[in-house]
Amino acid sequence: MTAAAFAAALALGLLGALAGMAAPRRVRPFVAGSCTAASGGAGVVAGVAALTGHPWTAWLPHLLPLAGTRLAIDPLGGLFIAVTGAVGVCAGVYGIAYARPLGRAVQAVTPLFLAAMLLVPAAASVSTFLLAWELMAVASLLLVLAEHRHRASVREAGLWYAVMTQAGLVALLGGLVGFAAAAHGESFARLREAGHALSPGVRAAVFLAVFAGCASKAGIVPLHVWLPRAHPEAPAHVSALMSAAMVNLGVYGVVRVGFDLLGGGPVWWWLVVLAAGAASALYGILQAVVATGLKRLLAYSTCENMGLVLIGTGAAGLLAHAGAHTLAALALTAALLHVVNHAAFKTVLFLAAGSVVRAAGTGNLDALGGLRTRMPVTTVLFGVGALGASALPLGSGFVSEWLLLQGLIKAHGSGGTPMAVTMPLAVAVVALTAGLAVATFVKAFGVGFLARPRSDQAGSAAEVPDAMLLGGALAAACCVLLALVPAAVVPGVARAVRVLVPGPDAVTGAATLRLHGVASTLSPLWIAVALAVALAVLRLGVARRARRKARLWDCGMGPLSARMEYTATSFAEPLQRVFENVLAPETGVHVTPLAESSYLVERVTYRARVGDRIERRLYRPVIAAAARCGEGARRLANGSVHRYLGYGFCAFTGVLIVLAVTR
Amino acid sequence: MRELLRKIRATGRVAEPAPERPDTAALDPATAAKARELAGSVQVRHVDAGSCNGCEVEIASAFGPVYDAERYGARLVASPRHADALVVTGPVTRNMRMALRRTYEAVPEPRVVVALGDCARNCGVFAGAYGVEGAVSDVVPVDVEIAGCPPPPEAIVAALRGLTGR
Repeated sequence: MTAAAFAAALALGLLGALAGMAAPRRVRPFVAGSCTAASGGAGVVAGVAALTGHPWTAWLPHLLPLAGTRLAIDPLGGLFIAVTGAVGVCAGVYGIAYARPLGRAVQAVTPLFLAAMLLVPAAASVSTFLLAWELMAVASLLLVLAEHRHRASVREAGLWYAVMTQAGLVALLGGLVGFAAAAHGESFARLREAGHALSPGVRAAVFLAVFAGCASKAGIVPLHVWLPRAHPEAPAHVSALMSAAMVNLGVYGVVRVGFDLLGGGPVWWWLVVLAAGAASALYGILQAVVATGLKRLLAYSTCENMGLVLIGTGAAGLLAHAGAHTLAALALTAALLHVVNHAAFKTVLFLAAGSVVRAAGTGNLDALGGLRTRMPVTTVLFGVGALGASALPLGSGFVSEWLLLQGLIKAHGSGGTPMAVTMPLAVAVVALTAGLAVATFVKAFGVGFLARPRSDQAGSAAEVPDAMLLGGALAAACCVLLALVPAAVVPGVARAVRVLVPGPDAVTGAATLRLHGVASTLSPLWIAVALAVALAVLRLGVARRARRKARLWDCGMGPLSARMEYTATSFAEPLQRVFENVLAPETGVHVTPLAESSYLVERVTYRARVGDRIERRLYRPVIAAAARCGEGARRLANGSVHRYLGYGFCAFTGVLIVLAVTR
Repeated sequence: MRELLRKIRATGRVAEPAPERPDTAALDPATAAKARELAGSVQVRHVDAGSCNGCEVEIASAFGPVYDAERYGARLVASPRHADALVVTGPVTRNMRMALRRTYEAVPEPRVVVALGDCARNCGVFAGAYGVEGAVSDVVPVDVEIAGCPPPPEAIVAALRGLTGR
């Protein structure tokens, strides 16, 4: 069952790639999109089959040229395959209409990208894993560069992404290859056996290298710089695939290597993970709350959510090390459930944002607004996603963040001083993040979709084709399901957790989730019912009174214009002021006086920009140093053949001397 | 901060002792019914329809620490959407006629209009001036009138207490 579905998913992905290359132009988007969606659907089937107790392993010694490929789908891999597949279904359906104006390359590479992402959690040896990882990285890079002919910013974004993803691969390569060398075997089964017995130094080096590589893929601060650049430039369904599915695989890498292959580690590993997660959650949401580009905002929100997942992962590692297995399982369940929830709401958010950009021609929130009447379905879809992302009841993010908070609050008692110090801090970080996330998504939804259009482009927007709406609606349906009936997926997540942390399930129950180890329950369905009843009662109570239609209050003087509305910038200004020390916004007021008198003002220009401070402080110096090295290297290579022959001679002689001395 | 605390301590209580509760029978029956529905809490929006600012000074005094109208349940608010009562000062000028009308429309029912000062009641010294449209009652229905040019804070507080019933 698992094997057949997984093989079908890969085959459909390849078929989609071929169709994207070769199918007639008229049907190409439909065929490629359908193949992507079907591949994703088969992936969901394979993942769910693995989760419900049909694991699968395969060794393909004769598969030329990839001889020795090892595949295995256990419940943990199955969870990530199912999530990736589900995102693929939505993105594929959406792409049928969205990818029509894009080139052949996008349609051919999208199914390939999905197949590569499905392959990563199924890999069961170092070489297979690295191959799938690199295939995924290259495919996503090609997709980011899809519109490089139209905008110069795409090229810059592609360069940043290429450097960050390849640097991540180098770290991952170093870590895993070193691990395989120390374990005398490259299959995950062999690594699992040998992981415990390695020296602490090797284990730490492997973990840190893998963590760095995976963090760059997951967009963890300070390796997040590619996210806010690549997402606004990539096509929307590619952004959805990258932000909802690909970043998850970074988390997969950390838990697979940290918990499974290395079998847990000392306290400081998990403190590093926790600290990186906390920094990422806070910095990501702070940048999101002041971002004015819709897709840039969503990209930073991805940083934030992956940070939350890593907080849960780090806490689980600490608890597992302290021997509190039930609490560790709870924290890890919360983290993996948040991966699922984040995938659902980020898919619908990116797809809706893509619809907005396609319909209005801009993703700048300061120029949007008034889309509620012009694009009603897209507005509802974005609203569902925004509710999920803001971690309020009736949103899908609420359940997992609540589980995470429960785990963190109850964890401080077990595990000694490090837990007692870090857990309250982590709780504070999660709470602050949740609050700022609400502000962020109130801004994105309120400014972007409600009120009046702030530009002619937004005023002339029209609803997008049905396939794009259907793609978003599928993801929104998943969001609603996850928000109201989380028990539908919690058993699956618990099975995946059991691979990593042995012991009984931390969360069980149907309509009411029961948390074991902390004696607590949560029933989102009953919260929803109670809210609906309260709303109905309120409505009946208000309807008792006579209602009167009145003019919109405009201070008595009217008419209101769109210039009077809150913009994204003005809405976030108070928060920007509060967090000025962290964000370091660049603002400038320039006053041009009249030529006749310096007391009279002709024009006042106000400029405000919130750049990425980490990029400015951490990356700019590195880039400048690399550029200087390049300048220096140019002097070495001046084009003279004699000089090059001289270099060759010197190098050869040098090697001979070294050999002669050392032998 | 210490300076402020010292000042607070040195100043002590400046609010005048509350006078006797005014007689609510002075209100006409329709207004009294509305006042009863407001149940002792009256949110007031002040509209300057063309006043010389004399009445505004007295309103500021009425809500200041000495007369402190808020202890009787009346409170100034920033939008007619939040208000139960409109306090209108000055004769209604041409430029403010439509604005006053719209402000009145924006107040949720039951709503009370208080014409404050002689100008609001009957245009006062501005009667017949070229820019004056008329008294407040020519533009919106008036429930309570406060006489005086300007009316003293005691009269304003007494009229508001008539509405709050406290």
